[in-house]
Amino acid sequence: MSKYIATRALRGATGLVREADEMLTKAIAEKGPETPVVFPNTAYFLPTILGLTGREIETLGDLVPLLERAKSLLHPVPPASLWKPYLGETLDAGVATLLAAEAIEGVRFVNGVQPELFPGFEMGGATEYPHLEEGHLNGPIDDIQLRSWGIQLVDGRMPGFAAIVGCAKNNKVAVQIVRELQQRSILIFLAGNVNGRSIIHQLQEEGVEMGYDTYIVPFGTDTLSAIYAIGFATRAALTFGGMKGGQPRNIFLYNKFRVFAFVLALGEVDDLKYAAAAGAISYGFPVIADTVIPEILPTGVTRYEHVISMPFDEIEADDDLDRARKLVQKAIEVRGLKLQITEVPVPVPYGSAFEGEVVRKNDMRIEFGGKYSRAFEYLYMTEMDKVEDGKIEIVGAGFDDVPDKGAMDLGIVIRVAGRKMQMDFEPVLERQVHYFINGASGIQHIGQRDITWIRISKNAVEKGFDLNHFGEILIARFHADFGAIVDKIEVTIYTEPKLVEEWLATARKAYDYRNRRLADLTDEAVDDFYSCTLCQSFAPDHVCVVTPQRLGLCGAYNWLDCKASFQINPTGPNQPIPKGTCIDPVKGYWTGSTEFTRKASHGTVEDVTMYSIMENPMTACGCFECIVMLIPEANGVMVVSREDVSMTPAGMTFSTLAGMAGGGLQTPGVMGIGKYYLTSPKFISADGGFKRIVWMSSFLKESMAEEFKAVAEREGVPDLLDRIADETDCTEVDGLLEFLAEKEHPAMTMDVMF
Amino acid sequence: MPVKIPMEKWAGSVRTVTLGATAADGGTRQHTVTVGGETTLPFLHFEGEIPNRPVVATEIQDRRPDGWSELLMEAWGDRMNDPGDWAKAAEEAGADLIALTFGLTGLDGQPTSAESARLAVRKVLDATGLPVMVSGPGQAEVDNELLVAVAEEGAGERLVLGYCEDRNYRTIVAAALGHGHLVHARTAMDVNLAKQLNILINDMQLPLDRIIMDPTTGALGYGIEYGYSVMERLRLAALQGDSMTQLPMLVTVGEETWKAKESKVGQGVPETWGVWEERAINWEAVTASSLIQSGADIVVVRHPESVKRVHAVIDSMMTANDRGGS
Amino acid sequence: MALSGIQIYKLLPGGQRPPHPKANCKECGFPTCLAFAMKLAAKQAELSVCGYVSDESKDKLSAAAAPPIRLAKVSSNGHEVAAGNETVMFRHEKTFFHRPGLFLRVKDTDGVEAIKAAVSSADAYLVDYVGMELTLDGFAVEAASGDATAFGAAIGAVRGASDRPLVLMSADAALMEAGLEAAEGMTPLVHSANADNWEAMAQLAKKHQAPLAVCADSLDGLADLTQKIKAAGVEDMVLDPCVGTMAGALSSLTQLRRLALKENFRPLGYPIIAFPGEWCEDTEAAAVLAIAKYAGFVVLDEFSPASIYPLLVFRQNIYTNPQEPIQVTPGLYEINKPGPSDPVMVTTNFSITYFSVSNEIEGSGNKGWLLVADAEGMSVLTAWAAGKFDAERIAKTVKVTGIEDKISHRSIILPGHVAVLSGELEEELPGWEIKVGPREAVNLPQYLKMAI
Repeated sequence: MSKYIATRALRGATGLVREADEMLTKAIAEKGPETPVVFPNTAYFLPTILGLTGREIETLGDLVPLLERAKSLLHPVPPASLWKPYLGETLDAGVATLLAAEAIEGVRFVNGVQPELFPGFEMGGATEYPHLEEGHLNGPIDDIQLRSWGIQLVDGRMPGFAAIVGCAKNNKVAVQIVRELQQRSILIFLAGNVNGRSIIHQLQEEGVEMGYDTYIVPFGTDTLSAIYAIGFATRAALTFGGMKGGQPRNIFLYNKFRVFAFVLALGEVDDLKYAAAAGAISYGFPVIADTVIPEILPTGVTRYEHVISMPFDEIEADDDLDRARKLVQKAIEVRGLKLQITEVPVPVPYGSAFEGEVVRKNDMRIEFGGKYSRAFEYLYMTEMDKVEDGKIEIVGAGFDDVPDKGAMDLGIVIRVAGRKMQMDFEPVLERQVHYFINGASGIQHIGQRDITWIRISKNAVEKGFDLNHFGEILIARFHADFGAIVDKIEVTIYTEPKLVEEWLATARKAYDYRNRRLADLTDEAVDDFYSCTLCQSFAPDHVCVVTPQRLGLCGAYNWLDCKASFQINPTGPNQPIPKGTCIDPVKGYWTGSTEFTRKASHGTVEDVTMYSIMENPMTACGCFECIVMLIPEANGVMVVSREDVSMTPAGMTFSTLAGMAGGGLQTPGVMGIGKYYLTSPKFISADGGFKRIVWMSSFLKESMAEEFKAVAEREGVPDLLDRIADETDCTEVDGLLEFLAEKEHPAMTMDVMF
Repeated sequence: MPVKIPMEKWAGSVRTVTLGATAADGGTRQHTVTVGGETTLPFLHFEGEIPNRPVVATEIQDRRPDGWSELLMEAWGDRMNDPGDWAKAAEEAGADLIALTFGLTGLDGQPTSAESARLAVRKVLDATGLPVMVSGPGQAEVDNELLVAVAEEGAGERLVLGYCEDRNYRTIVAAALGHGHLVHARTAMDVNLAKQLNILINDMQLPLDRIIMDPTTGALGYGIEYGYSVMERLRLAALQGDSMTQLPMLVTVGEETWKAKESKVGQGVPETWGVWEERAINWEAVTASSLIQSGADIVVVRHPESVKRVHAVIDSMMTANDRGGS
Repeated sequence: MALSGIQIYKLLPGGQRPPHPKANCKECGFPTCLAFAMKLAAKQAELSVCGYVSDESKDKLSAAAAPPIRLAKVSSNGHEVAAGNETVMFRHEKTFFHRPGLFLRVKDTDGVEAIKAAVSSADAYLVDYVGMELTLDGFAVEAASGDATAFGAAIGAVRGASDRPLVLMSADAALMEAGLEAAEGMTPLVHSANADNWEAMAQLAKKHQAPLAVCADSLDGLADLTQKIKAAGVEDMVLDPCVGTMAGALSSLTQLRRLALKENFRPLGYPIIAFPGEWCEDTEAAAVLAIAKYAGFVVLDEFSPASIYPLLVFRQNIYTNPQEPIQVTPGLYEINKPGPSDPVMVTTNFSITYFSVSNEIEGSGNKGWLLVADAEGMSVLTAWAAGKFDAERIAKTVKVTGIEDKISHRSIILPGHVAVLSGELEEELPGWEIKVGPREAVNLPQYLKMAI
């Protein structure tokens, strides 16, 4: 905490409380303590005071004890020699400022100087003052408008509000700032001045219409009228948060977590502004100033940067308008506002209806990847500052000069940043590129990473589809679908062969790293497993426990997917399961996984192991890729894949077995799994692991030949696959036993399974 | 020999939810309706408390509906021409609650406007003293527009606003928050989705005792078993202590059963289906009474005769045991 | 603690080391001893079908040896109604296995002609529900007259009009004896033994090898009677807890089921007979309660198609396997008498999916050809994920249904959820235009309106 800010805020607060006291004393002397104090059309008295203290101010007299309370919040200005984190004192000073400011505005209403008169001013929609005939500013927002906007703030249509205090560098900048905010449906409150000149004047001179209809509310040209923004926020908590007056902590928390608001301080910051800023901080509203002031950055006390200094002329940009744009962007970023992009701006129809579309050679204009050129896509995360949200850059030539049905190199490099982004999510997000791009009509996308293969149809090109649209699609869809973890995204499309080459090398390093990372990601190395209860709709008591070394039995969700899914949908079917204490590392019992499973299976499953088929095996829904079943006679297990329709040595086909393995019932000896679990070192490791497999559908043997070869080597039996029977060798136990004896399968000499 | 009856020790119970507000609480309803509060499975009086009877709501629309079965048109007659009149008729027919739903368009084919929605709600509120539930036509944008207006018009009445669905709940919840109403949370026959929606709604700060959950159902013959089982499971979860499922349940039986061919049409159907009117009412009454057995606290029906039938069943279920061990 | 399949397996021939000569003999009807053991563990099989279990093993398996609710059967001329062997309290846990038999009650005071008329029309009643033919299961004949001849004549009249099984109702052993004689050649349910007549009734049941319903108005009384009757040599019993209201019925039937399943309380481990007509004026609602809440035999007092149809459908719905959804027959469904130019749509054979789609098309007055692919009863998205609804299966459905001969165009509408199949389907169906429809059935009418 900056001592400088603390000092100035305390000074500002002290001054303001004194001023309020003087005004009140004078007003009481002139008009009497019984004189009513009212804000127009509200049921919340003086709302900030009501919210923070529970006092229902109805008369001037009621304000006297209130100001005493404000005074008690003022601490001495820190001596020059003492250094400590002054946050507590500063925040108290902020609260005192808010109480005093609202008290002053209350007295001003009594004195007839609120709302502020502003001859000739007209608004489209505003708080009504039937007694006033001439032009005036809005003053506080009335309850009707509060509810109407409140609904939009609460339901998310309106992302938040910006309180602009002061005066912009010039009129053009003022307009630009307001337009940037309007474009994002952010509600705008205006107050304050610098040397008598307010942003309200600036906008009026530029002919910007203000009022409820345009979502721009001019409160007043003095700093104090910014209190109406706080009154609005307080009433939002009381109305929509179900809070009562006198619950300041709840009101602060409500606003901090639910009302996405920030303060833009334009121009020089005086003591009063510091004090007001301190008040805003209590509500969790950060202050972004366009002048040089000390910053309050996250220290563990605050949730994010609270006072940010962005000296206007030092913002790196082409011109002032661009600077205004960046200032607003920064404010939005600091407050973590989420914006919605609803439409994907491409010249061809877009939707999942087009995902399966095939572009045939004859209909094709150009292709990237495949046989004749290189193509790759690479997504990585980086720091917030290094990503310019929404930017699309094409490096290299377009495809105009490529002959019809021709091919060219392409590299799609996606940079993302987000407060909740993690490196582990990179592959999860990168895999989405396939689905996103495929959604465009006339575009075909196959593969991923460096085996990407994209075709654009002639038809799409005729409609105007070009390289930049890949960027448009990705930016829109990542914001829409992954907004919870991606705050900013920028896309660069490389066609210049040399750069494609360079970036491809970088990407390959990253792919490699990710592969190794996946391999390193062991159950021991993480604190949480993840649940998947997606299938409870038809297997009500089934719970998948997904661990780094045991993916979901449907094969569709690995641990990283679940982790990302939880970030995106925190109340969804993938919840973290803290492992808790390890009870048995061999069979895979943890207190956490057992407790979670017991609860989520509604008591049906008492205990569950991660690594055994014989003892409390994990249950299955019905979506499994394979079924593993004990063949007691062979001292091993068989694995049948869902593609396999033939008989198995268990005397049952896959579909008969499925009835036994599924439905969320724990049946030792039978287990439904995702096929990649077969390659995990933790595959029934408690029972002997991969070497226990005596029979396996040929489909699996063939489709995963390479992976299994590596596993066989890891297990120390390089020719293991040849010793495992499949349906072409035998489909009953006797034949299997002969086969195994002949091949000297290791299971024949392993410990008996039970 | 003395037989010891096995009793379940349930860890949880269903929340109590009150619909409607009388003058004392800032509304204009003559009385309120309270549902929920069960501490055991439906009607197991020997094991726990069933403090509140299930109730029957009658569905009415903001204007004479299109495409409703002739039987319903005959049953309500001209009183369907005005929502206030219709609500009054429903009250006379014994409804405990009025469930007003809006069509997508008015009789003139124009989209239903916020203003006409207000007017319809006003008429219903003025015509009857029963608590009122209001739902939109089921299209996100239209629902939101209409219900925000309705919420304002009925401020303080503790209306039940619907439908909150996983893809569209925020505006309706916000409107309920802003004007002191309840919401009707609807999910597609899935325990976890129901739970998740309750969490999301509650997360917006709407207290759990202002949510009625609608797990939806199929009609008899059209998937009733899914609705039936999902409700049983939700109720079991509630009793086992899962707080996000401890809400009273509602099902819109009328909407589902009157879609079925068995109810809707009398011509060109097999003779073995029996007399049309008798069958149609049976269809609705059987669907409703079986879902009451699986845990419904509110059933919404369309035919006046069904209201009487279901009430009789509830009477019978609430009559404490004659025999059967203790 | 119940034994797991593997624990049971060790006690079966296949689990012996060295293996028993009859290991995996398949005589039980299961492919291997392990498979049989797993079925036993799931309480879906009886140990007695294996002839090679040692006595020692049998003792250890006693808990798994018999289902907690004993099966009772009545039969006649190839018709059979069985109740019992249920394993769960709630249908979502596992299937309710034996659909309760629905019996229509006639009284011997009704007169022979009236009985004949009533029985023959009820007997002939057959209604089609998604391709299944549903009927009543039998008749209950009550000796209301107190006269043996009249009772015999009534039974004769019923048998003359129907081949279905019977429940014979009288508390008078002499009358029952006459009734059983009139029912010679079939296995009826003898209703009922009570505290006063049980010895005589037990004798009759034994002699005629018929299951015996036991009636008492308390569970204590019921348990007393069943034990005495069992000691007298009757194994097959049915319980009648004699309740008078819906709430009472629900309580008693729930308690009986819990005692049998949760406590494995053998004296009450029998199926239940219910008379819902005595519970509530709304006899349909009462019958629904009996069907859903654990009755094995349900005796109705009235018969009318409009009332029996919903009950039959309800029973069908409740007694489906919750993990194996109801399927409709794959094939071509014509909606609103379509012509050659009307659209072709495809969906899966999961009943709910089919109903939603067909109801939307039909209700909106559109004409169309609905192709229902065999997706093993899964909904569109689930089936697609499981590989049961792919381009190949859709193409096969197009071919085998002969739709190509009925239409003048070559255009098919896919559900929006499986848009991803459109490319492959083009390959499978050369010359066809593949259109992608909406994801949800509810949007179909609007889609059809816009697209056509």
